[in-house]
Amino acid sequence: MKIVRIKTSGAFRERLFESWVELRENPGRSFLQALGVMLGVASVLGGFAISDSQRNQSERLFARIGGTDKLNILPTDTAYQETPSALQNANLGLREEDATEGGRLPSARAVNATSVVREARARVRSEFADQERDVSGIGADYVAMNGYEIEQGRGFSAHDLETGAPVAVLGSQAASVLFPTGEIVGKPLRIGETPVRVIGVFAEKTFRFHEGQENMFAWRNRIVAVPSLLVAGRMEGDDYHRLDRVTFRVPDLAAMTDFSKELSSLVTANHRLQDDFRLDDVAKRMERQMSQADVYNIIFMLSGVLALLGGGMVNVNIQLASLKERVREVGIKMALGAPGREIFKALMTEALLLTLLGSFVGFLVGVVFSWVITHSIGIPLMLSPLSFVWATALALVFGFLFALYPATKASRLSPMEALRYE
Amino acid sequence: MKIIETRDLVKVYGSASNAVHALRGIDLDIERGEMVALIGPSGSGKSTLMAILGCLDIPTGGSYALDGRQVEKLAGPELAAIRNEKIGFVFQQYNLLPKATILRNVELPMLYAGVPRKERRERALELLAQVGIPDKAGVLPGALSGGQRQRVAIARALANRPALLLADEPTGALDSKTGQEVLALFQELHAQGNTVLLVTHDPAIAALAERRVELRDGLLASQECREEAA
Repeated sequence: MKIVRIKTSGAFRERLFESWVELRENPGRSFLQALGVMLGVASVLGGFAISDSQRNQSERLFARIGGTDKLNILPTDTAYQETPSALQNANLGLREEDATEGGRLPSARAVNATSVVREARARVRSEFADQERDVSGIGADYVAMNGYEIEQGRGFSAHDLETGAPVAVLGSQAASVLFPTGEIVGKPLRIGETPVRVIGVFAEKTFRFHEGQENMFAWRNRIVAVPSLLVAGRMEGDDYHRLDRVTFRVPDLAAMTDFSKELSSLVTANHRLQDDFRLDDVAKRMERQMSQADVYNIIFMLSGVLALLGGGMVNVNIQLASLKERVREVGIKMALGAPGREIFKALMTEALLLTLLGSFVGFLVGVVFSWVITHSIGIPLMLSPLSFVWATALALVFGFLFALYPATKASRLSPMEALRYE
Repeated sequence: MKIIETRDLVKVYGSASNAVHALRGIDLDIERGEMVALIGPSGSGKSTLMAILGCLDIPTGGSYALDGRQVEKLAGPELAAIRNEKIGFVFQQYNLLPKATILRNVELPMLYAGVPRKERRERALELLAQVGIPDKAGVLPGALSGGQRQRVAIARALANRPALLLADEPTGALDSKTGQEVLALFQELHAQGNTVLLVTHDPAIAALAERRVELRDGLLASQECREEAA
């Protein structure tokens, strides 16, 4: 005799369809229930999107103004300000060789540009102006690495840099101050006691983190650039042509770790084991970058979880508020032969479907929401597929957990009492 | 063949100290194809007996065989399956799902029986034609008159070809003319061979049945038989 005739195989599709019918039959209730999921998903997604966009923008900013991809060697302050030991004194300090030999290390494959700088402070005189200015003695790939482009005249030739030719290229601000009118290229300039000729002008550099902010690259336009050999040799009479900074650009942060180790031992050896230089700490930099990302993610994940928690509670409340209506429904269905577990499964399927539908609407709301936010602070929106996955996964977990209570309650009703419920 | 066979059916509500004895020992037999009226004043135990006969509740004591199967000891899911397969309910308040279409209301018992969708649809439309409202499949119960709603409920009760049609005051919410039409439908169904148990307090309605069973204070007070249906 056939007693239990409820199909168990392939029943899920049927149940899913039935849930869809149920949801359509009760649009108001379904909407309110989905609202919590919607807002929760929107908040998780929006949080991730805003955090991703912000971090993406920060990384772009870092890459352009300082760069996480750059490894610097600097002399320590001892060499400048304190009393150096005899050994330190006997040292030659940071030199051109440190840069060229560093570039020949096996791990230097990862290096795609090198630059050297020798800074000076000097009186700079043109036919129009006479100012105390910073003068940058530059070498190797400095111009390209810092993103300068020539607007007028020409840049430094390899010959200029090798010989320390008395030529200068001006930043746009320096050019407009030193030569407010007339031709600039070809004009003489006196830097300290050294006469040089202006051979070119860099194009203006601008970078704004947000729209309408002041130009963060204004300082770069103030540059007065000459070959580093000119500063070290002719201007400062330093026979060893010491440098103030050597920079290697290594786009791959992982490769930078190896390179920095080899570079450190090379420079230590060059400097006769004297600790008179300082290398950027790559490990710390990586750590900071990671922890920053983690903090963002935790904060936004937390806010999303709280929103979903709130949404889940709203959901339970709506379920309980519509209990009267539901109890009669359940009673009728039970009288018609629906067993408790069928009622339970149906309600759970309904919750699942509702969560998925709510998630999709939440995606839209979240994307619009984060677009509005990122647009209003003027950064480009970045959406990662992972945040969609996270948002849906969290919504499903909460949807499932919060559906359990009402579904269990409904499935345990006695059919007689449920039918009589008023 | 007996559809219903109860022996010494007892139902006690509450705990020992303040127990309410709703049924005190009912022996009731109903043969296949009979139309029986269960009458009695309120408080007589009518509703309790109906709930037990309808497998919505279980007795405290005694035995109950429905269509040859002992059901007095069965648990929730098995009772649900029995209700689904063997019993068609018609309630006073219709008990239709208000937000589901007529078609879907009639399909529901077949859904729980695992009947494929296409077959469900065909059978539901067939049943709606049988109860005289073939053109209402797509509307909601709210759009129908009381008589029409009760016809829907009857169609739904017939969906799984039950062994027993259990009608609890089926005309209680209807005016007398509509009530007559619904009763005529029951008589027609009876004539087609369905077993019908009508629960009512109205002697005029009970008079339509072949046999009347009167319940008083939890006991069967009398059974009368009538040879001819009106």
